[in-house]
Amino acid sequence: MAEPVPRSPAARSPITPAAPVVVRDGWEVSDRRSSAALTLADCTPVRKFVVRGNGVLGVPFGRAERHGDTLVAGSGPGEWTVFGGEAAPSPEGEFISVVDVTHGRALIRLTGVLAARLLAKVCPIDFSERVTPHGAAFRSSVAALATDVVRDDRDGSPSYLLHCERSAGQYLYDSLLDAGAELGIEPTGGDGR
Amino acid sequence: MSERSPASLFRLGPQPGEVLDRSQSFHFLWDGGSYPAFAGDTIAAALAASGVRVLSRSFKYHRPRGILTASFHDPGCMVQADGEPNVRAAHRRVKPAMDVAPQNVWPSLRFDVRSANRALGRFLTPGFYYKTFIKPQRLWPAYQKVLKRFAAGGRISAGSAHGYFDKRYAHPDVLVAGGGPAGMAAAVAAAEAGASVMLVEEEHDLGGHLRWGGSGELGVLAALRAAVTGQSGIEVLTDSAVTGRYDDNWVAVVQRGLSDVEERLIKARAGVVVVAPGLIERPYVFAGNDTPGVMLSTAVRRLVNLYAVRPGSRAVVLTANDEGDAAAADLERVGVEVAAVVDARRGGDVVRVRGGRSVERVELGDGTSVDCDLLVTAVGWTAPTALLNMAGDRPVYRPQAARFLPGADLAPNVLAAGGLAGDGSLDQLIEHARAVGQRAATGEGVIPDLEVRDHPALFGGRTHGIVDLSEDISSKDIVAAAREGYDSVELLKRFTTVTMGAAQGKLETVNAVAILAEATGRSIDETGTTMWRPPYVPITLGALAGRMFEPIRHSPMQPWHEAYGAVPLVAGEWIRPDHYGDPVAEVRNVRDNVGIIDVTPLGKLDLRGPDVPQLLNLLYVNKWSKLEIGAVRYGVMCAEDGVVLDDGVTGHLGPDHYLMSTTSSGAATVWEWAENWLQTAHRDWRVHVTPVTAAFASINVAGPNSRQLLSRVTTGVDLSPEAFPYMNVRTGSIAGVDGCVMWRIGFTGELSFEIHVPAGYGLHVWEALIDHGADLGVAPFGVEAQRIMRLEKGHAIVGQDTDGLTRGYSAAIDSLIKLDKDDFAGLPELSWQRQRGEYPMLVGLQPVDGSVVPAEASQIVEGNHIVGRITSSRWSPTLGRSICLGFVAPHLIDAGTVVTVQLPDRSRIEATVTPQLAHFDPAGVRLRG
Repeated sequence: MAEPVPRSPAARSPITPAAPVVVRDGWEVSDRRSSAALTLADCTPVRKFVVRGNGVLGVPFGRAERHGDTLVAGSGPGEWTVFGGEAAPSPEGEFISVVDVTHGRALIRLTGVLAARLLAKVCPIDFSERVTPHGAAFRSSVAALATDVVRDDRDGSPSYLLHCERSAGQYLYDSLLDAGAELGIEPTGGDGR
Repeated sequence: MSERSPASLFRLGPQPGEVLDRSQSFHFLWDGGSYPAFAGDTIAAALAASGVRVLSRSFKYHRPRGILTASFHDPGCMVQADGEPNVRAAHRRVKPAMDVAPQNVWPSLRFDVRSANRALGRFLTPGFYYKTFIKPQRLWPAYQKVLKRFAAGGRISAGSAHGYFDKRYAHPDVLVAGGGPAGMAAAVAAAEAGASVMLVEEEHDLGGHLRWGGSGELGVLAALRAAVTGQSGIEVLTDSAVTGRYDDNWVAVVQRGLSDVEERLIKARAGVVVVAPGLIERPYVFAGNDTPGVMLSTAVRRLVNLYAVRPGSRAVVLTANDEGDAAAADLERVGVEVAAVVDARRGGDVVRVRGGRSVERVELGDGTSVDCDLLVTAVGWTAPTALLNMAGDRPVYRPQAARFLPGADLAPNVLAAGGLAGDGSLDQLIEHARAVGQRAATGEGVIPDLEVRDHPALFGGRTHGIVDLSEDISSKDIVAAAREGYDSVELLKRFTTVTMGAAQGKLETVNAVAILAEATGRSIDETGTTMWRPPYVPITLGALAGRMFEPIRHSPMQPWHEAYGAVPLVAGEWIRPDHYGDPVAEVRNVRDNVGIIDVTPLGKLDLRGPDVPQLLNLLYVNKWSKLEIGAVRYGVMCAEDGVVLDDGVTGHLGPDHYLMSTTSSGAATVWEWAENWLQTAHRDWRVHVTPVTAAFASINVAGPNSRQLLSRVTTGVDLSPEAFPYMNVRTGSIAGVDGCVMWRIGFTGELSFEIHVPAGYGLHVWEALIDHGADLGVAPFGVEAQRIMRLEKGHAIVGQDTDGLTRGYSAAIDSLIKLDKDDFAGLPELSWQRQRGEYPMLVGLQPVDGSVVPAEASQIVEGNHIVGRITSSRWSPTLGRSICLGFVAPHLIDAGTVVTVQLPDRSRIEATVTPQLAHFDPAGVRLRG
């Protein structure tokens, strides 16, 4: 038997990173930094877990709450998606499952004052403050793709996390770039959140 | 090519309300000549400023046509501009170096051979194609070839660039359709009350008729524009139009004039729609009414006040209202000699216009004639009630006003404002509109009534003329059609095509209805109008299509496949490698050495919970309660009608933890199927199902050398046949990647392992297998090679070898179906199928002549009766002959039976039913190795 193959230096996102490319926390990521008013970042390396159980996490369905580096979104009745954090969540309760979907979901962050305007081109949901304020979480069709959306504002700027089934990640990313072209969108590197 | 000076005979000095930017002058091309223009000019206005009268030829008779309305709806102003056909010259702004050409003419606008159609008028009456070109039928292709040459409209070249079109969604509290004074007032009032407002205006600027008004109107216009600009919460869309109102105020808006987008379709869900389109001036029907130089009063006022164009030198004005009077005043102000003002309110009338390419003389109702080059008509207004109709309202005709007004059936979330709702002074209309806006925003407030003023009912004069200028339909045609029995307005429309042209009825519907009413002895109200359907204005196919949102799914190994020349296969949303150049060689390599295939699209569901075995027993036809940890079982799912739904393997990974695989195309269906049961009939079961299809990169390593290859990159798993037998599952590390799941299963019939790697490392593991197997003969194989090998092995594909009628026993899975289970999806139907017997069966088939590969779906026949079909068919490299699977009738299922296969070319061959589905290694020696 040959020697075991050394571990790959990095995991890859389904989204081709914009140059320059570096390895961070075991993932190939873009190190690009854009100061554009509207940016798109691939955040696929962020840990993601689907937690199922009855009322185990307090965040209600359709809402998201951030606790430091961890964002918990109520993605369905008795179902939560947990983003970030140092380790897998370990909630207590009678029948709970925690499935690591870090590799299974592509995660993209769209940030900027014009983010809602861009999303209005690809998604029929009302992105007004009244209907989808900071902390809203829902599933809809984005560019004809089933996508989960969480509004998670950053430093006072409207910001949306969009995640979809991994294999369509590049398609979703490209669709958002296309829709944002007239708004001056630029790709930027993710910051791990 | 001559050039005209910008300071031409028909260009006026600066006008108070003009939209021109005289600091930007340039030239453009028209019909081979160069013409001057200012920024802000429309194509038609710029040409009129240079004295061009004839802009087009009519649809059927190729009569010369010019400006009639000077607006978007002008039927005489359709041109080709910079390669774009059907451009509305009276609306489209001219650009420097724009190349504009006439349409529907040959060889030229000035001398159009097809104007000879006028001489054939008696043969080209409405509906002539229903009569003239019916027999003999064999000449239809010839008729079509000739008639195509006379098709109106512009031309698209094959090299036309594909424009950028897109869509947008919007959710305004209030959508105001129409940006005239009423629309602006309603929008401001609604926004003041806290509503988000979308204000949509067809013209390039807000203002409606105020734009070409006097100083008073211009003052009101400035104030309203300032109010709109200064009020937050109003999104203004100019050069845009509401094309349709659908259920629950789902509204379509086409937005034009964007810098980067040709047209944008806005899909808006509006809380309330305020319809404020103003009124559209109606042409008058009389002999010669389509002669260039006959214009509506609003056309004249637009040309003079917006575009600083003198529309003629000597004019006659037929007026029945204030707008006509104002037009006469405008003409006099700019030095046009107004030879006669014919007041229709006092019985004045116009009988006929003389002139071919331009007005030369007008014959009046009192018998006199006036030489002139311009006839202005102001005979009344049509209320564009289309959006109200679409909202379910039935507008009512008011004879004293000679127009339609909203009926009583308006939905509470659709309101009318402005001239559409009634008459009044400007202040009264604005006050009314503000109340409408307030009501739209808050649901409260009293809306004052508007009066309905009298207006003479003037539709057609004493002579026949053109009713529908877009379609060349005359009043004579309408009368004749009524006489032929087409006396309902809907029938009339379809028979004559009146209102079916580019103006979509806005200019001609009421005239047509009035003439039909007179011809049939009914009132206008009794006659009714045709149905208004979306789109209200034309919309490009590009805008309807928008961006092509077609999700594409790739596996993590896709870059490798592309780099190594894989021929792509579109499998649903997935792009998969079909082969890498030679599928036959790929088959041979797997059979002799080792191959790897990317099977990432295989559906995968993570199942957790103590009740998973119950779910598996419910979903699958076979038994699952005793599946031990580390074991894998193949299963088939049937729907409640017993029809095969999906198949796959499920492995018991650990305590209360299973991994289910499904077909690639069935992944989402099976997930929903499982969740449906868990959320309805079995809410008490403790099972969590999580789709993980793309979370794993999946690779099948197949061939006699597969174990050896895998052992070179795997740690933590004993791959020996004793430790890892067939139909088992293990987890371990592959190429340094932890958390990999390995099945020992086989679809190809070879010793094989299906490995599932956390997707981010998929490419790494794939490359590691390639790198570590050169001496073992490792090579990729694609879907085609896999299909060949699975067919050699007799493995059916759900959806290929089964269809929507294939119940379980027909799919030759008898040994799997456990009717003694308490229950499973499809149990009753399968029981009955078993009891009834005599069902078609999936069998293996081999053509007697092994060199013939029947096409899939070829019919199996007895005489002229169909008794089966070929479902899968390939040439087998392993066996050196053709092999098939197929369905046959019950009396043909015995091994050795010879059946007849009819090929697509109707020739017939013979094929023999094989003892089992597998054509190769039926005992499974190779895959169990």
